[in-house]
Amino acid sequence: MATAQNPSTPTMRPGVQPLRAGQGTTFLWRKLHSLLGIVPIGAFLLEHLLSNFEALKGPAAYGAQVKFLNSLPLVRVLEWVFIFLPILYHGLYGVYIWLRGKSNIVYYPWAGNWMYTAQRYTGLIAILYIGQHVLRQRFMGISLPENPGAAFAKVQHELANPWMLAVYIIAMIAICWHFAYGIWLFAAKWGITPGTTARKRFGYICAAFGLALAIMGLASIWAFVGPTYRNAPDIAPLSYLAAPVHAGSHTV
Amino acid sequence: MASPRIIVVGGGLAGLAAVIKIAEAGGSVDLFSIVPVKRSHSVCAQGGINAAKDLKGEGDSTDKHFDDTIYGGDFLANQTPVKAMCEAAPGIIDLLDRMGVPFNRTPEGLLDFRRFGGTLYQRTAFAGATTGQQLLYALDEQVRRHEAEGKVKKYEGWEFLSAVLDSKGVARGITALDLRTMELRSFPADAIILATGGIGAIFGKSTNSVVCTGSAQSAIFQQGAWYANGEFIQVHPTAIPGEDKLRLMSESARGEGGRVWVPRKPGDSRPAKQIPEAERFYFLEEWYPKYGNLVPRDIATRAIHRVVYQEGLGIDGQPMVYLDLTHIDRATLDRKLGGILEIYEKFVGVDPHVEPMKIFPGMHYTMGGIWVDFNQMTNIPGIFAAGECEYQYHGANRLGANSLVSCIFGGFHAGPNALNYAKNLPAPEGDGGHAAELARQAEINTRLIKNEGGENPFKLWRELGQIMTEHVTVIRFNKGLQKADEKIVSLIERYKRINLSDKSQWANTSFAFARQLKNMLEISRVVTLGALQRDESRGAHYKPDFPDRNDEKFLKTTKASYSGDVVGPRFEFEEVDTQYIKPRPRRYDVAK
Amino acid sequence: MANKTVQLEIKRQATPDAPAVWEKFDLEWRPGMNVTSALMEIAANPVTADGHSTTPVTYDSNCLEEICGSCAMRINGKARMACSALVENIEQPIRIEPLSKFPLVRDLQVDRSVLFENLKAVKAWVPIDGTYDLGAGPRLFPQDQEVNYPLSNCISCTCCMEVCPQFNEETGFVGAATIAQVRLFNNHPTGKVLKEERLRALAGDGGVQECGYAQNCVEVCPKQLPLTNAISDVSREVLLQKAKDFLRG
Repeated sequence: MATAQNPSTPTMRPGVQPLRAGQGTTFLWRKLHSLLGIVPIGAFLLEHLLSNFEALKGPAAYGAQVKFLNSLPLVRVLEWVFIFLPILYHGLYGVYIWLRGKSNIVYYPWAGNWMYTAQRYTGLIAILYIGQHVLRQRFMGISLPENPGAAFAKVQHELANPWMLAVYIIAMIAICWHFAYGIWLFAAKWGITPGTTARKRFGYICAAFGLALAIMGLASIWAFVGPTYRNAPDIAPLSYLAAPVHAGSHTV
Repeated sequence: MASPRIIVVGGGLAGLAAVIKIAEAGGSVDLFSIVPVKRSHSVCAQGGINAAKDLKGEGDSTDKHFDDTIYGGDFLANQTPVKAMCEAAPGIIDLLDRMGVPFNRTPEGLLDFRRFGGTLYQRTAFAGATTGQQLLYALDEQVRRHEAEGKVKKYEGWEFLSAVLDSKGVARGITALDLRTMELRSFPADAIILATGGIGAIFGKSTNSVVCTGSAQSAIFQQGAWYANGEFIQVHPTAIPGEDKLRLMSESARGEGGRVWVPRKPGDSRPAKQIPEAERFYFLEEWYPKYGNLVPRDIATRAIHRVVYQEGLGIDGQPMVYLDLTHIDRATLDRKLGGILEIYEKFVGVDPHVEPMKIFPGMHYTMGGIWVDFNQMTNIPGIFAAGECEYQYHGANRLGANSLVSCIFGGFHAGPNALNYAKNLPAPEGDGGHAAELARQAEINTRLIKNEGGENPFKLWRELGQIMTEHVTVIRFNKGLQKADEKIVSLIERYKRINLSDKSQWANTSFAFARQLKNMLEISRVVTLGALQRDESRGAHYKPDFPDRNDEKFLKTTKASYSGDVVGPRFEFEEVDTQYIKPRPRRYDVAK
Repeated sequence: MANKTVQLEIKRQATPDAPAVWEKFDLEWRPGMNVTSALMEIAANPVTADGHSTTPVTYDSNCLEEICGSCAMRINGKARMACSALVENIEQPIRIEPLSKFPLVRDLQVDRSVLFENLKAVKAWVPIDGTYDLGAGPRLFPQDQEVNYPLSNCISCTCCMEVCPQFNEETGFVGAATIAQVRLFNNHPTGKVLKEERLRALAGDGGVQECGYAQNCVEVCPKQLPLTNAISDVSREVLLQKAKDFLRG
């Protein structure tokens, strides 16, 4: 013990830095990410699943729904501003969030921690799925905005491949999970459900909602692969019944 | 001269209280603490803090608080400072309330009070059963605020080693050891306040925290400070025996209606719940009908000793008695005692809502301490002391919930006094003794680290704890005290052959401990020999061979000073200030 | 417990730069033994299970009754207080490691001062005018006391930060403990005066937005603080504050 500091004093790593009180912009980006997940992305998902549900009525009804959506004013602008860009941001920022967190369910295998981890994996599945889905169904093959009658057959051909079918089923479940838990998280983190009891009750509601969405989605998939509309025509004649009115915009 | 520089050593209630007062008055403070101040031992205080606010319509007054304190302390405390403390107490509670301490409340939104030992009034304000924690946090927050404003600099993880004294014996700073880098440094100051708590560690296991070694007190004692009333050690009646420490079970358990009992039949092996009321011996209630379970701690402790060792009525023949809360409803218990019941459940694994707790007395508080004058200054000019480390407020026995108020009052007093002293201090000659003191400390360190021998400091400490607990706690015999002192002397001898298994220069905890141990050994002699000198029984100091209080000979403050000699400290006696309340016999079986 | 010995495996690191090594110890079992008493036992007899002499283990501890917050460490992988870790309730061999998210000092000792810096950053105090006599404090109903008291029980052990997947060097997340203190002081009649400042502080980088709501904090907290409730409440208030600030310009 000298009077001076030990010359070979070890160096400690700096560790987590203190809060940068009031500094920086992550608050804005993070809240934007969170909000976009609900509107417009969540709202769009809801619309999409409802539209898909038309498939149970057959190729003609499904085509009519596609045609209706494509007839909305400024549909291409809506499509980019309210669907593609938000999903792109939500997805990429979501990956960034994931990379900055360190999952530790090995040591802390608690329910909330599992959900935290699951939200990240389901999000990743969603991005990958949505990427290929948009590419193959919106931008490749026959153009549906111009040929809405081809919608049913295009999906049916895609799902004829059992691998693709599996991808759709997994993605459907993952996305419904991600959305349902996302709503719960949104409510918890924006202080809408501030108490333990409120969060628990809302958890049941979200679980039921997610389950309903997933069942609806899977039922729609069944419409394409089931026996009822086997070998649908490439271009179905559209039924001109009044199409149901839904908020939002849509492209299959 | 620029604004005076004050060093405060210790970041418990007393230290933080002093820091706040100095910062508020414009002084700058360096605050030294072994642990981050928020982890100081004050967090362990449970039951509450006394102040005669008389919010229960009982006719309580500060005079009655003063009388209870003096009477409870068996008239050994100087009355002037105690009177001032009791008068300041209501204001202190108000201040703490303003700082945000979450005291329990009445339905009208006022402070709630409960009864504690040694009084018949509900005088104790409380925040659940973690009052010390809540008080410490409130002061910690205020200090953090002053720190953020640049008025306070914290040295957490530094251990005080010694005072720096100039050629005239005036304090000019301190030396301290960085417990991480093991750097030894001296720090200049115009005044120093020690607020370094109790000395529980010399008893091995106690209710005190690990840092309560008394090392700082002992260090300045060895530099010439007087140590007063060292023999007065409070053994708390209700502690949970444990492997590493004795965990306090607050007096508030009895304040809220807890009852102490043992089975009437020796060795009764039935579970507590199956023993009918008639076969339970509520010995405190029977022996002390007026105060019942809320007799002062020294009385309760001796009663438990008597029931266990003389009457052989300990539970299952073990040194334990029941502390029973099971007759009180769960909601009330959780609201008022939650914290301590959780401790019991966690560490014993039994739910005290359902089964009576098993408790036994444990060393708890140091009534004695560094001698200070009424301005909180020691006999070394420039060194002040406040809190448990000084001797002033509790006489021969401390009443429950008086310690928190004495810490804060002492700190509030010491801070401004130190600042005033420092403002009038002439500049030192030369370097004020810094180089010499630093060299002395460096030499001690070098010797210790290079020492070759076969002794392990932790083992020596255990032996010290055993002998102190056996002979210098509840019941004292001169023969035992002599034996204890001989043992301590032999431990001091063996200390010279300490061999540190860790000789590194980075976060070397055994090195720091070995330095504390030397100081513990020295202060243990003060306690033991002080007890040997005092042939009477007063408050916590009880000698069966001298069962009565002897005011003629011993209504005096014991003052020990360091001799540096193997014969041990020198003792002298000082008159006690009894100008307000004439000493009278102390008994708790009837109203006083 | 039947077996008479207690087996410990302790991760040792003499300095932050030194390599980590595991040392095994066999101790005699005693009733009521906890991890801190085991570490004390090693200090009195620093010899490993295979008979090598070693140094006493460096670790933080103070009160030994789970109120000072010092002795947090990872025991069998999980962050907890060593003093309340009763040996008979833990699977053996007991593996003891330092907290992983804080700069290591030595052995089981880490530097957790970031929490205290965070408390400074959010002004976690009641800004009283002075300590001179200003009369009684504000009235507070028992219901409010019962909200504040549990929050005020935080012992700064940092377990909530250690187990949080979001608390790390990339996010600089402030952690649940500090957020709970913001909730506490914003709920105090006088503490409220700094409410807006605290909320703005918590919108900074590393602020409340970094919470991923894994809820490990509330599971691990030895004092059962309502941490997730505090996070929800404070998040809402931060958001409203930011919205107000935005609209006011």
